[in-house]
Amino acid sequence: MKDKIKIFLDSDLLEQYLLETTSELESLQVERYIAMYPEVRDTYAELQENLEIFAKLHAIEAPQDLKDKISSRIKTDRKERKRFYSYTVAASITAILFISISTFFWNQNQNLQEENSVVSNKIKLLEENMKEQLEDVRNQFIVLNNPQTKKYNVKGNQKAKDLKAVAYINPVKKLSYINVSKLPHIPESQCFQMWAEVNGKMINLGIIEEAGDQQKLLALPYAENAVGYITIEQKGGNHAPSVENIVANIAY
Amino acid sequence: MSTLLENHIVELLQERNEKAISLLYDNYADTLLGVANKVVRDPELAQDVVQESFVKIWKKADSYDPKKAKLFTWLFRITRNTAIDKLRSVNTKSDKEIQIDVSDVYTLGVESIKPELMDVQEHLDRIEDKYQIVLEALFFQGMTQQEASDELEIPLGTIKSRLKIGLRELGKIYGPALIAMILNIVL
Repeated sequence: MKDKIKIFLDSDLLEQYLLETTSELESLQVERYIAMYPEVRDTYAELQENLEIFAKLHAIEAPQDLKDKISSRIKTDRKERKRFYSYTVAASITAILFISISTFFWNQNQNLQEENSVVSNKIKLLEENMKEQLEDVRNQFIVLNNPQTKKYNVKGNQKAKDLKAVAYINPVKKLSYINVSKLPHIPESQCFQMWAEVNGKMINLGIIEEAGDQQKLLALPYAENAVGYITIEQKGGNHAPSVENIVANIAY
Repeated sequence: MSTLLENHIVELLQERNEKAISLLYDNYADTLLGVANKVVRDPELAQDVVQESFVKIWKKADSYDPKKAKLFTWLFRITRNTAIDKLRSVNTKSDKEIQIDVSDVYTLGVESIKPELMDVQEHLDRIEDKYQIVLEALFFQGMTQQEASDELEIPLGTIKSRLKIGLRELGKIYGPALIAMILNIVL
């Protein structure tokens, strides 16, 4: 250990460290030795003292105006620093403001885009709906005004004597409609459902609402020798017609 | 330099109080100007060096670590490095080589020495030349030990030993008298 310290002190690392001419690695080594060995620490302290003494031997009186120059430069530096800091603060605030505004607008933009897509979807749906309705109205018009349209009065059977409906069938345009003008009273747990048997297949045409729909023409799928049925079903409708509950049929 | 004053200056520096610079100047400027002058060997340039050094000291105040070096050591390093850089830039400009003239060591005019330090000059004159030359070459001329060895035509080993002895003996020979005198100046 002693040898190690002696070798270290005999080298000029400590002197070089004093003058800051050591490499980074050497500095770390010197600092480690100073921290670890009191002998090295004392030598380093002594070297520092001696350096100060040696330097003092060469002192020259420093003029007052040099002090004034230094003071004014440091004041300028402080001001610049302050200005720099205020610029930094201003820049930071601006940046934060800009980011917030950007985020705000970005969010707005996202929201608007979403709304836009919802609205355009709605418009598309409405358009389709309107086209369908227009087509329906046009067909109704064709059916009702065409001289070739045949009009059938439909009446209910024993189970629904009050049921009255009119079916309009146009074999030329292959369009058929039914207008259910009166429905008999049935318990609330039940409803009327319309069906059409086309080419041997039973097609569900939906539930006939008692109110409101009375003046509405319900389109029937057209086919040669098709049969339309009205049945009484449980509320909410059924997947397949209950044959025993057929209250009216229309052959067209 | 009393440790108390040193500590006070360090505290002020770390608080970024301008008073620190004033105190530093009052207590160290003479020595640092001497160091700068020894390196650049031009009194006006030396003043520029001291000015730049003080600005650096002010700006780098945060980097000073009292555990690693005495305040003076730190100030000395900054001033010395600034002076060496200055000398290099001046020499680059004028395309001159750094000429170390050994005979120039004592040419510093006596009238430029602080009167209070006249005795010190006498002490300095008494230091053995062989140590002085080596110490000056290394401390003030910014030479590495190898450069000093080449320039002064002294073997590297001798440079090392003279540096060591010169520096360590300096304290022993002149330390007490000098410290007493400096205390007289300060008080």
